[in-house]
Amino acid sequence: MSTNISGKEMAGKIRRKFSADVRVQKERRIWVETTKAKLPSLCKHVKGLGFDHLSAISVTDILKEGKYVIAYHLWSYDDKMALTIKTKISRKDPVIDSVGTIWGKNAQIHERESHELFGVKFTGNPDLSELFLENWKGPPPFRRDFDWKAYVRKEHYDKENEREKVYWEEEA
Amino acid sequence: MIEVSKDYDLPFGPAHPGSGNFSVKLKVNGENVTGAKSDPGYLHRGFEKLMESRTPMQNAVLSDRICVLEPLAWNLAHAEAVDELTGTVIPERAKYIRVIMAELSRIQSHIIWYGAMSMGTGFDTGFKLAFGYRDYILDIFESVTGGRVYPAGYICPGGVRRDLPDRARERILKVLDKVDRMKMLEKLENPALLSRMKGIGVLKLKDAVRLGATGPVLRASGMKTDVRLDDPYEVYDQFDFDVPIMNEGDSYSRYVIGIREIEQSMKIVRQALNELPGGKVREPSLKPELAAKIPKGEVYIRNEIARGEAGVYMVGDGTGSPYRCKIRGPSFLHMIPVLEHLLVGSQIADVPAIYWSLNPCPADMDR
Repeated sequence: MSTNISGKEMAGKIRRKFSADVRVQKERRIWVETTKAKLPSLCKHVKGLGFDHLSAISVTDILKEGKYVIAYHLWSYDDKMALTIKTKISRKDPVIDSVGTIWGKNAQIHERESHELFGVKFTGNPDLSELFLENWKGPPPFRRDFDWKAYVRKEHYDKENEREKVYWEEEA
Repeated sequence: MIEVSKDYDLPFGPAHPGSGNFSVKLKVNGENVTGAKSDPGYLHRGFEKLMESRTPMQNAVLSDRICVLEPLAWNLAHAEAVDELTGTVIPERAKYIRVIMAELSRIQSHIIWYGAMSMGTGFDTGFKLAFGYRDYILDIFESVTGGRVYPAGYICPGGVRRDLPDRARERILKVLDKVDRMKMLEKLENPALLSRMKGIGVLKLKDAVRLGATGPVLRASGMKTDVRLDDPYEVYDQFDFDVPIMNEGDSYSRYVIGIREIEQSMKIVRQALNELPGGKVREPSLKPELAAKIPKGEVYIRNEIARGEAGVYMVGDGTGSPYRCKIRGPSFLHMIPVLEHLLVGSQIADVPAIYWSLNPCPADMDR
């Protein structure tokens, strides 16, 4: 196991170029926080540093602040370290640039999932069609404020069915 | 004479005997596949959302269901995320037991992979033999965890739920000898199997990285990478094992990687059994303490499971449940971008050989 560069050195490289908040959590785990505007250039920069593998894109719904945190989990095959880039966007108007041009089809699929489950729009992604859900008409289901129980009751409660009645009426 | 169009749509799954709960819609011209679109979602259960309203111990049980074919590996990834957030130090013995169970899980998953590939290419004997041998490992799972397929969160936050039963070491070693015998199958070099897989579904290294392939699929394309080696977790850094790689990137090399990884996993299990330390298997040992709150923070866990890279991103906010738990399944990338890429330009008859060589699990794709 040969690592050419330590986590601290890598963090320094990113910090120098972008005045981003870079934190080394432990060996092989670096976290960066950046703004929406700086994200595309930062992503291009770290891709150039060897972070070839986009492991996942995750969305966290911070209801209290009215923000979404988009996190890009990356891995460098050369330097054997993981980097997570986090950026906050508005929850009301969740639009962010796609990183599909940087990490390719892989990124587009992750974005498609995030679009479906959280309603985040990725500008520049050619395919944001539905993935898991079929004919879904409700709000994006993974939002923190999505009350699935109320939704199912409203949309799918068959009042004629005695068995369902027991479940839904007792709950209420 | 009636004019017949040569272009038609051919759905592969979800009711195809070999597809699992997953479908890929093919566009076909004569025998040639001209387009492919994956259609996941038949097993979408929303685990990420469900975990937000449950305690870590309940989530440990839930994490079984992420992948039907290797629940113990997902148990481990979930437990590691909680342990790292809470700062729990796992007893040494528990770490070894975790590794033993995770590697046995990898072996049985690779045996299924071999069986499914045999079935997909019309070599039914291989399929039946594989599932027969897998059952010996399920016997061990039953005696250790209580469940043959689902361990009900055996690997849980804080360690493992209970110690290995009596004579576990002898029983496991005996089963490994049996699996050794199964590997003779590979030496038979079945011509039917080989002619269906050699040179089929070639994935170049550049495309593999671009499309997000990981694990055996990436290694079959020539990348020497393994999370157990590059980013060691538990006690993997204390074992001596190899990471097999191939350069061709076709279905056959993925198959060979699978068989060779079984050997390496057996090597790890034998070492772990020999060095197994004594002591407790869970920390803290009392249940109410385990139901403690998950402190504020976030972690990204990467594990090497049989299919590739498993990822768990967990955010804690000081309550009893994780605020957010993102699960990254390797099949998500293998079955959407990689599969679509490989199928276009292939022949209808090669679809199962390509499909099964990617070791798909619709459950970890949909979550």
